Amino acid sequence: MQEIRIHGRGGQGGVTLAKIIATTRFLKGDSVQAFGLYAAERTGAPLQAFCRYDGEAITSRNLIYEPDHVIVLDPTLVGPAITAGLKPNGWILFNTERFPYEFAEQFPGYRVATVDATSIARRHELGTRSVPIVNTALAGAFARLLDFDLESVRAALEHLAFRGKNFDAAAEAYERVVIVDDIDRAGAAPRRAAPPTSRVRGLVDGGGSERPAILTGQWATQQPRRREWTPPCNHVCPAGNDVQGFLQALALKQTNEALEILLRTTPFPAICGRVCPAPCMESCNRLSLDEAVNVRELERYAGDHGRCFLRPHTFRAQQIAIIGSGPAGLSAAYHLALLGYQVMIVEGGPALGGLLRTGIPPYRLPRDVLDREIERILDLGVEVVLNTRIDRRRLFDLASEFDAVLVATGLQELRGLDLGSTCEDEIVLQGIDFLDRANRGEMRVDGERIVVVGGGNTAFDAARSALRLGARSVRIVYRRTREEMPAIAEEIDEAIEEGIACDYLTLPVRIERGGSEARLGLICRRMQLGEPDASGRRRPVEIAGSDFRVDADRVLLALGQSPDLSVFPEGTEVRDGDDVLGLLQTPVYAIGDLATGDGTVAAAIGSGRRAAQGIHYVFSAEDLAPLPMRPEEVIRSGAMKLHLFESNPSHHGMSRPAEERRFDQQEVHAGLADPSEAVRCLSCGVCNECDRCVTYCPEGVLKRVGHEFIFDYEYCKGCGVCAAECPRNVILMARL
Amino acid sequence: MSAAPQLAQAPLACSEECLMRPGNTNCGGCGMSVGLTFLSRALKETGQTCQLVIPACCGIVTAGGYPTTGYSVPVLASTFASAAAFAAGAAAVRDLNGESHHVICWAGDGGTYDIGMATISAAAERNDNILYICYDNEIYGNTGGQRSSATPIGARTTTTPSGKIEGKKDIMAIMAAHRIPYAATLSIAHPDDFTRKMKTALAMTGFRFLLIHSPCPTGWKSEPGESIELVRLAVDAGLFPVYEVFDGWRYRINVRPRGGDVREYYRRQNRFPADAIDFDAVRAEIDRHNERLARLAQVFPAAE
Amino acid sequence: MTLELVTGNHAAGYALAAAGEANRFARGAACGIYPITPQTEIVEYVAKFPFSKGRVIAVESEHSAMGVSIGAAMAGARAFTASSSNGLAYMTENIMVAGFYRLPIVLAAVNRTLGPPWNIWADQGDTLYLRDFPCIQLYCETNQEVLDSTLLAFRLAEDRRILLPVMVIMDAFILSHTQTETDLPEQALVDEFLPPLSLPHRLNFDHPATIGGLTWPRETLSQRVEIDEAFERVPAAYEEHRAEFRRLLGRDPGGAISAEATEDAETVLVASGTIASTAREAVRQRRRRGERIGFVKMKMFRPFPGEALLQACPNARKFGVLDRDYAAGLGGVWWHDLRAALQGRRDGAIVQGYLTGVCGGDVTPDMIDEVIDDLLERRSAGKPVWKGIDR
Repeated sequence: MQEIRIHGRGGQGGVTLAKIIATTRFLKGDSVQAFGLYAAERTGAPLQAFCRYDGEAITSRNLIYEPDHVIVLDPTLVGPAITAGLKPNGWILFNTERFPYEFAEQFPGYRVATVDATSIARRHELGTRSVPIVNTALAGAFARLLDFDLESVRAALEHLAFRGKNFDAAAEAYERVVIVDDIDRAGAAPRRAAPPTSRVRGLVDGGGSERPAILTGQWATQQPRRREWTPPCNHVCPAGNDVQGFLQALALKQTNEALEILLRTTPFPAICGRVCPAPCMESCNRLSLDEAVNVRELERYAGDHGRCFLRPHTFRAQQIAIIGSGPAGLSAAYHLALLGYQVMIVEGGPALGGLLRTGIPPYRLPRDVLDREIERILDLGVEVVLNTRIDRRRLFDLASEFDAVLVATGLQELRGLDLGSTCEDEIVLQGIDFLDRANRGEMRVDGERIVVVGGGNTAFDAARSALRLGARSVRIVYRRTREEMPAIAEEIDEAIEEGIACDYLTLPVRIERGGSEARLGLICRRMQLGEPDASGRRRPVEIAGSDFRVDADRVLLALGQSPDLSVFPEGTEVRDGDDVLGLLQTPVYAIGDLATGDGTVAAAIGSGRRAAQGIHYVFSAEDLAPLPMRPEEVIRSGAMKLHLFESNPSHHGMSRPAEERRFDQQEVHAGLADPSEAVRCLSCGVCNECDRCVTYCPEGVLKRVGHEFIFDYEYCKGCGVCAAECPRNVILMARL
Repeated sequence: MSAAPQLAQAPLACSEECLMRPGNTNCGGCGMSVGLTFLSRALKETGQTCQLVIPACCGIVTAGGYPTTGYSVPVLASTFASAAAFAAGAAAVRDLNGESHHVICWAGDGGTYDIGMATISAAAERNDNILYICYDNEIYGNTGGQRSSATPIGARTTTTPSGKIEGKKDIMAIMAAHRIPYAATLSIAHPDDFTRKMKTALAMTGFRFLLIHSPCPTGWKSEPGESIELVRLAVDAGLFPVYEVFDGWRYRINVRPRGGDVREYYRRQNRFPADAIDFDAVRAEIDRHNERLARLAQVFPAAE
Repeated sequence: MTLELVTGNHAAGYALAAAGEANRFARGAACGIYPITPQTEIVEYVAKFPFSKGRVIAVESEHSAMGVSIGAAMAGARAFTASSSNGLAYMTENIMVAGFYRLPIVLAAVNRTLGPPWNIWADQGDTLYLRDFPCIQLYCETNQEVLDSTLLAFRLAEDRRILLPVMVIMDAFILSHTQTETDLPEQALVDEFLPPLSLPHRLNFDHPATIGGLTWPRETLSQRVEIDEAFERVPAAYEEHRAEFRRLLGRDPGGAISAEATEDAETVLVASGTIASTAREAVRQRRRRGERIGFVKMKMFRPFPGEALLQACPNARKFGVLDRDYAAGLGGVWWHDLRAALQGRRDGAIVQGYLTGVCGGDVTPDMIDEVIDDLLERRSAGKPVWKGIDR
């Protein structure tokens, strides 16, 4: 007679395994028994099952105390009970991915075999993810050990009406089982196993209140682990802001804390909160639910209403010169000063701010806001030299006088357009120059018909400024459609509200003099969209014979800018954050638009900060850069459990009515009245202590103490409810 | 849920403080376990305690093997049909002695809808001062998954191998017909509503009946981690109306169904044979039932 | 002592209520009740009783009546209930629970023929069939004995060494509805006899046990062995409480057995319940005629007082057992148990069973005489003899 004892857990199919083995022998004509040691088994609870078979009729009705072989369904059950009474030379078959040699020492005198039945069961989709049913795979492996042929297993499974993938699992395990049978026969020391007979305290004497002795964590096949992700807003923010972080602080009405989080990466929250195109909002996972969180307005809210001043913690003697005081230069100055360095800004113009001051009209960026944020930087002890242009020779001088030099001169070269006619001064103007003069109060266009060429923010700023400077009409011509316009969508809407006309798919071809009461006519050609170009936007294609005339008194060009590299030696390659000159003593970095050509304030801020960190690394070997974010670590909307959130619309800031605002330079937007919009932030991939995991843990073995979540792995059964219920996917189940 | 982060939330019941001790033998992802932790929290937050009377059901197996117990309160196991009777006796003596603990029946659907029906009906009719909580997993789970009168139409059990032909018994209507002070349905997918109603019940006297839709991964043949999601789907689809009834006639709907697709609920449980459910009929029955409740709530609203 | 004219039911109801009232300074009394002929008057009496600290819950079934009493007892109250016949059969599952939970519940039972058919008359089969449950059974002969035994039952049941339910049993109508003179002791006396109940394992928060959950074979076996040990202590404990009863109330509530003229008797007639009265009188007649016959009344059925019976009948070689019950395929239960008790203890003894008054028939002196004649003539034991019907 052969007797087999099976150690398993509820739900793994231990009793059925006994039945499969018994059936295999039954079909070969043996007398068989298969039975379980029944209690009220629950999924995961340890249990035993038994199988015996014999060529003669079996008369035993007892449990099996001295088995010939043992099968262990769950590696966590490995312990002395496994070999209790096991006859020498018997097989121990483990379900584990480990090699049998690891067990051979622990169980001397026995033959040991292992097979990863759990993986096989999962591969064949037997059971559920947390409770794979491993019995058929183990039946296959066991058949191999006892030289049952695989066909007899197939016959048994068919006899028991098991589906095909069960046999596939058995066959795979039959092949994969790993065996050690070169054993020291002397090692086995079977202990007789029999039921205990000692008495237990009765009810009347106070029995029945002891704590459970079972560590149910051993039942688990998987365990929850915390794993945070990069929210897409943080990932795309050119400034490198912790968008999710400051939004969550605002959601808790902690405005000062929100501002502090922003000030760690940007000196310009109030500015970006007004002028940033906010790629974070384009990548916001909430777009898959309703509308993006209004990050821009919330940043403005924090910048306008928060109170926080960061100060350098140390003094560092190194002196750093920064050429240019646009957002990149100022950002670099800010971060370097915060790190304790001695910073001097050299600005060619009469005031700090670069394009922030010259290019962005006050109705979008009030000058007091700009001055306040620049003041924040100067308060850190940054020195300023104004009205000083730096040429190539002066650059080398600076490099010898300072420990490092940053060049942040931006995009000085303006793109032009050949309209086939030489124009008098002032009739065709660069939009940037127009804005600069307008912003300095040196420009009026009373009664003029203004045509602006371009579709970016400069085009709209110029157009709207023209309106405010007395223009009779303003129209924008753009060769693509509104979809392709790089300008901030809200700016476009507001411009149209203010009465600015937009001619899409319209290409200016040439200027015509006279012909009407207007000073000139701009001849334009209709376009249509063709195949996508390298940028992914559909390429506009001219429609032959579609030319038409637009009356104009003045044409403003807003076609983009490019860097002026004349400050560097010929042939210098400029890359963001790279040492451009390669001087031994002094690093000289090109930063901001000059290096990136990006054109947004946010990108300039990020570039300035990275340069500051790069220089700091050169001087201190301290790496402050955030960990590189791999794209797969960004959480996309598909990984969020959006259905758990209620849909509710975004809060938009208040705007002054178009008919009122179009005539003055007062700020168009009033901003948000309160930060409640931040509550809409889903905190994608970052735990915000919503505590759903704690609430729903069926066992109550997950708790939060302060900001720390504690999984009690001794008792966690690995059901996966916490992971399934985490709306932001911060808990993952790790297979054991 | 709101996306908002939580502020100043009371530290939640940790394993040591729970009614149900760690080391209990419930299956992973058990809805009854969630219900017990919610009950535990409601008791803790209201500074109360309880004795449990539990008939044959998974809840008594939670205790584990004698002499250990998975509960941190006194528990009296009753015969299958007798939970409400045992509890009535214990509650009477509690009241005689001016004690304040609750006597709570914690029973499955078999012990409530089926074998315990007469006992519960009698205790309800007498308005005995007990809180009766039925965690309804729609199956005889302890015995390996047989049909009960709470098993929904279409569900395959070991005694309805081709799917149950009959629909689920409307036990709430039965309990309401007893004009008990309070009867309510609770979904563990809606913890705030769950806890509020649990506390409402704990604050009342007389016979109170709570029905919890309790997912059973083993019996429903579903992924344990999806337990909460399943009952959430049931609420969203209107399959499990979440409402309360005061004095048997005043109604209030607590969670309005969001019009979720009932198919999704069925699809995720292997107990429902694929393609064997007449979804149009199911939908019609759901709509009828919810419409009836909505009208009751409209015509006989519960006072705020 | 003032005698009053009351029925057996009234006597039982009075005893249950007075015992419950006696616990008013402890955790009080509570019970579930449910009517069934012929015990209904007992629960009616209890329902009307103005308890100072008691609660009587009229339930929907015998099963729940015992269920309520179990819950009450588990919560520490003095609990009791009453039933009869099919009511006891329906209550059975919970009678068993009361025993396994070691609850000192007193159950007043009125013997009535189990149906169907619909028969309301006396037959002990409804209580004897509960023979295998952990419940002490006391059979009564008079209304006074019903009252006394009921009070004694509480004291015995609540004895810390015992902690078992006790059934106090009387015949339908012959006792339950028959008015005879009975002493109903004053409450003060009952209070003195029954000290406040303190159940060691009642539900309490200091010791939050789960009572009756999953229990493995060895652990369950431990509990069963404890029950067996408690039963072993019953005869001695019974005698202690009986003596105390005698001291306080001035009369004997009766022993586990009562033997008469058995010292020298070779032949002994054994009976229980009201048949004992008739049988005792018949034996006395025979004694007067010089026949060496004795009589034993069995009061206690569980634990079975076989040892006491043997000691009381040192010379008996022939036992005739009167059974007002019939265990299908076997015969009388008393006869069967007595035969088993004598096994190996009195070799060669003849134990003959007589089925008398089964299904409620009247057991007349003539019938007993026939039995005695048959018994005296016997040289060997045979199958149980049916009486009261032509065969």
